[in-house]
Amino acid sequence: MTPPLIRLDEIAKSFAPPGRFGIIDRGRPVRAVDGVSFEVQAGETLALVGESGCGKSTTGRLILRLLEPSAGRIFYEATDLTALSAGAMRGMRRHLQMIFQDPYGSLSPRRTVAEIIAEPLDAHGLVGSRAERRERVMALLGQVGLSPEHASRYPRQFSGGQRQRIGIARALAVGPRLIIADEPVSALDVSVQAQIVNLLQDLQESTGVAYVFIAHDLAVVRHIADRIAVMYLGRVVEIGEKRRIYAAPHHPYTQALLSAVPQPDPDVRGRRIVLEGDVPSPTDVPVGCRFHTRCPLATELCRHETPLLREIAPGQSAACHYARPNPISLAA
Amino acid sequence: MAITIASDEPEYARSPSLVATFSRRLLTDPVTLVAVLYLGLLCLVAIFAPLIAPNDPLAQSILQINLPPSRDHWLGTDQFGRDVLSRIIYGSRASLELGLISPLLAALGGSIIGMIGGYFGGIVDRVVGRLIDLLLSFPILLLGIIVAAALGPGFWNLVMALVLAFAPRFARIARASTLSIRNEPFVEAAVAAGVRHPTIIVRHILPNIAGSIAVLITLWISSAIQLEATLSFLGLGTEPPRPSWGNIIRDGLNNLFGSAWPIVSAGFAITLTVLAFNLLGDAVRDVLDPELKE
Amino acid sequence: MTGPLLEVEALSVAFGPKLNPVRAVDAVSFTVNAGEAVGIVGESGSGKSVTSLAILRLVPDPPGRIVGGRIRFAGADLLSLPPARMPEIRGRDIGMIFQEPMSSLNPVMTIGDQITEAVMLHERISARRRRALALEMLDLVGIPNPAERFLSYPHQFSGGMRQRVMIAMALVCRPKLVIADEPTTALDVTIQAQVLALMNRIRSTFGTAILIISHDFGVIAEVADRVVVMYAGRIVEQGDVRSIFRHPAHPYTRGLLQSIPRLEDDRRRLYQIPGSVPAPGARSAGCPFCPRCPDRLPICANAMPPMAEVGPSHHTACWTNPGASVAGAQ
Repeated sequence: MTPPLIRLDEIAKSFAPPGRFGIIDRGRPVRAVDGVSFEVQAGETLALVGESGCGKSTTGRLILRLLEPSAGRIFYEATDLTALSAGAMRGMRRHLQMIFQDPYGSLSPRRTVAEIIAEPLDAHGLVGSRAERRERVMALLGQVGLSPEHASRYPRQFSGGQRQRIGIARALAVGPRLIIADEPVSALDVSVQAQIVNLLQDLQESTGVAYVFIAHDLAVVRHIADRIAVMYLGRVVEIGEKRRIYAAPHHPYTQALLSAVPQPDPDVRGRRIVLEGDVPSPTDVPVGCRFHTRCPLATELCRHETPLLREIAPGQSAACHYARPNPISLAA
Repeated sequence: MAITIASDEPEYARSPSLVATFSRRLLTDPVTLVAVLYLGLLCLVAIFAPLIAPNDPLAQSILQINLPPSRDHWLGTDQFGRDVLSRIIYGSRASLELGLISPLLAALGGSIIGMIGGYFGGIVDRVVGRLIDLLLSFPILLLGIIVAAALGPGFWNLVMALVLAFAPRFARIARASTLSIRNEPFVEAAVAAGVRHPTIIVRHILPNIAGSIAVLITLWISSAIQLEATLSFLGLGTEPPRPSWGNIIRDGLNNLFGSAWPIVSAGFAITLTVLAFNLLGDAVRDVLDPELKE
Repeated sequence: MTGPLLEVEALSVAFGPKLNPVRAVDAVSFTVNAGEAVGIVGESGSGKSVTSLAILRLVPDPPGRIVGGRIRFAGADLLSLPPARMPEIRGRDIGMIFQEPMSSLNPVMTIGDQITEAVMLHERISARRRRALALEMLDLVGIPNPAERFLSYPHQFSGGMRQRVMIAMALVCRPKLVIADEPTTALDVTIQAQVLALMNRIRSTFGTAILIISHDFGVIAEVADRVVVMYAGRIVEQGDVRSIFRHPAHPYTRGLLQSIPRLEDDRRRLYQIPGSVPAPGARSAGCPFCPRCPDRLPICANAMPPMAEVGPSHHTACWTNPGASVAGAQ
């Protein structure tokens, strides 16, 4: 059986606040990612969704070892990425690339588009001559819907959507097998979002690249994802095939998240689950089920025992003691 | 499979190049223009001193001590009969050589150390940080005096003193700028692309801190000139009889009632030059500031 | 009081050099009635935020200036008031909620002080009564332990809580109108749901009129009774919220509604409007949407379509609207 493209095994990342040199810690550690495991198959799109502080962006960076995991292992096919030296990991980056959220900050302001796109090619020694490099850059520009004359311009001369295309071209340059897309459309206008999402799908069809698509917007994710993993406070609370998750979420948080998305339909107004309270701080994760402080179904059991992620339907797992389809019943 | 084309998207105007912006500033701001012209003139004077100076700055003459300004000696003579104007002209060499080389070397050394510390963080940064703090805790003049006194007089020793005094200031700015850029998404993107660290430092960090460093260089040039003058005044700088504006003042102090011309001329020279470099620094900063803000 | 609470008539705001100004807002007219919620929706560059700032005369001058039109609030012409009178209106009669609660709150003042300051500016009441009023507002907006949180600083609150504090500050003097500029854009979706529910509750409790500005159609649908759609500085369509969503009359509105990713829809490819928003300086004589419009007519490139009725409580500025030529001829 072929191993999955990516496999995360109880990955964790804690940030200790910088203690004063020799003096006590200023606070508790931030448990940004607290034991996450999932797989990504070649050519598929796994969406990682959740609200701020859930650890989805951190997880994305951990996969690429842009941050060092505090615990757990990451496998790229059969290779344990966490065991590689820094140099060997650098070589691996050929296969694992990233698209960033900020179209304005993720492109080096003083370099031309051609230089930006060619940089990964040079870093991995994939082009020999100037002509070859130029050819490759032009081909990539075409793939993302830009034109050859854009190559000699600077990022500041482009709009947000165009800059994001440049970032995508850069990520594609080395022919990666996986691209981590960290909120790639969140900073863009609605009409531009549609263009970029369509572009990402086209590219997946033509190159077979897999995506880990990190987002907070469940509606966008619906279109591009094959499977969805919902994160809350550093753990995955539900994961499964897209259609099942949207039709019948089994975890109360997933259900609340889906119902909280404002619908562009005035007649749906008011029929929503509104959770009480704020998301707890990652320095102060609740004992037991971490969602119990806001969960309308919480019981004593939830306050003491952490539920594990277990399969509750074919192709769908949830971490809840009371997992069942649409667990929170809506008042009539 | 359709390729989505991004046509008709807004294009933003090219902002003018640095040279163009600086030239425009020169043309519109008379003060800056005068400062730049003065400095240009000063450089020519220093370079062509042998051709310009009417007399030999070292030639002494007992018969002509403390003369007031005349046709032969535009600024008069000092207590050794030496032509003040020629000494001032040759003195510009000492000031400019030191004033330009020291900040440049300090910028080079200091920036490299600051960038390395800021980029790698961790223990490297701690060491660099402590080193910077240590050197910064010495007042510039004191540091200059200590090094000059320890190493003795001589051009390169003096350069060394000034470089040690200035380098930590460059390192501090370079480190701070690097720290702020280090966390920018485009640096993370370069790491994610697999670019090696030295390449990232040169290609991504350096161009973005160059502006701040350039401004600092112009500001420290005027400090270097003042420092050289002060050290020469204290007898630790340029060795007599080689003229320097600082030691002209020193000699002049001993001869205050003989002739005030040496002190006044040298004082003016220092003041004007420092002022000109400061104005240049302001202009450089204003030109680079919109860039920095971007 | 009869007549609309807020009447904006042919408002135009220009930016940039006097010789070559750019119109960020171009002949915009709409009304807000007492107790009503009106939503202005548009993408970046549509001029929606500038419109809201112009109502309170908060457009920074330079580089911007109001170059035409009238703004009437409760009968008074706001544009002809001396600038010194505007601070009285702001806060007391018209409250404002901004997008970024962190930068709109003073980080070195406790939130209790900030709310009471808002009261102090407009009403002469004792310190004790001010405090009581502030506590009442905090409780109303759902801040737990108001007496304790009164002494807290903004950084000690989460984003959602800060936005509630902003709402409390905007409402403390019981204004008749609240302008909310992208109030939930910076918030997580579950917190957004809380804040929108709060805004609806406030409207039903106090009868405050709301002018909400957002790029998110879902947010607008959740709060507004009437919708104004803006594109490139002009209003392209306005009307009752149901008419706009069910029967969008302007090609831009239609395109925008189609390109929104929706939860219940499983299409793989999203509809995209071809081309992009014109740069502010590059607008032409005809309809600004013409270059991208799938339904364009020859007249569209040359003449600006007039706002005309297309249904009950539903107007659009489009040459494809049969009512347009009639309005144009008048």
